[in-house]
Amino acid sequence: MHYRIITACLLCPLLVHAGEVQREFNPQTGIERVQVEHPGFSLRLLPLASDYVAAVFSARGLPQDIVDATRAYCAFGTILKNTGQQPLHYRLTDWRYVTTDGKTHRLKTKTQWLEEWKDRSLAFRWILLHEEQTYQPGDWGQGFTTLPLPAGSQFDLYYSWTQGDKTYEEKIEDVHCAPVEAPDPDA
Amino acid sequence: MKKKSKTFTAHQSKHPTQMRNAFALVALMLAWLVPATTFAVLGHGLSRLPTPVAAPDFTLEDMDGKSYTLSSLRGKVVMVNFWATWCPPCREEIPSMETVYQALRNEDFIVLAINQWESPDHVFSYMGQLDVYPNFPILFDRDSSVSVAFGVQGLPTTLLIDKQGRVVYRAMGGRNFNHPEVRALIQQMIDTADSESP
Repeated sequence: MHYRIITACLLCPLLVHAGEVQREFNPQTGIERVQVEHPGFSLRLLPLASDYVAAVFSARGLPQDIVDATRAYCAFGTILKNTGQQPLHYRLTDWRYVTTDGKTHRLKTKTQWLEEWKDRSLAFRWILLHEEQTYQPGDWGQGFTTLPLPAGSQFDLYYSWTQGDKTYEEKIEDVHCAPVEAPDPDA
Repeated sequence: MKKKSKTFTAHQSKHPTQMRNAFALVALMLAWLVPATTFAVLGHGLSRLPTPVAAPDFTLEDMDGKSYTLSSLRGKVVMVNFWATWCPPCREEIPSMETVYQALRNEDFIVLAINQWESPDHVFSYMGQLDVYPNFPILFDRDSSVSVAFGVQGLPTTLLIDKQGRVVYRAMGGRNFNHPEVRALIQQMIDTADSESP
């Protein structure tokens, strides 16, 4: 009996922090949005089609070669929010993306993009989500995150954040990059 | 973690492939904009810095070429907002900034909305699309040097600068600045003597 109580108490913090994954699939675009709410932290991922990403950067006046380079990446509109009462710190470089072949991938960060494009990349500074930030209670941010994966790729996301003096790691299974093009409704 | 699936219902019609792709692209654009606003209903909390820090000085021009220098506004409470037209929460918080500005503009309070990267022509046409036209100065930080000096890493970011030219409060992400608590906070900063801290 005592063993069960102790086990339950040990599991309690994990259960309290586990979040529910909500998915919204749009058959017209073939895109599945993912949202998860944890106590004190929420995350939303919206897969972005390569045409859309290219259009956004083209509209910012970036050179065509840079615009074309973005097409090789799986991009997400990513929103992170501190919904708790303590400062929250995230570092996207700690996040892991494990594809179905078992390989682990990392984000291409804003800093890496800026380094690659140096003086030509000012617009990118604001559209990409900064790779490491501390959010005070109520703070939130949004921006693109980019993965060196082809369109339509599938992966499990292992993400982490620190709040107060605790670091949490969670997993979202079966996240999909946007498809190459919208599904054919006649197919 | 549990999974919960929800499927959109969508009308399916026979369009040529190009037309279908164009529709999909527009849908995607809207899909990115809409959840950004609905997911993050604007809160109102601003974080007080543990220690107020001197705001970096700057001089920027507005749409009419009029210059604004931060240090010349000493003695006023200044709300500095970093924004861009493509940023949904930036757009969403503009009406609340305008309301606060109209309510307090005659009481040693000013809002400076500092646009990042974009041209005055582009911003001017964007302003025409807004439900609430902002009357506070829109300044242009074309090379982002001012935002870098303030350590801004994402848009929108808003700072409250006290009468002594010190950054006292900060908010990352969109906010409702017309919330009674925010208005009371600004009013308190206005009512505080120049040499005091609220």
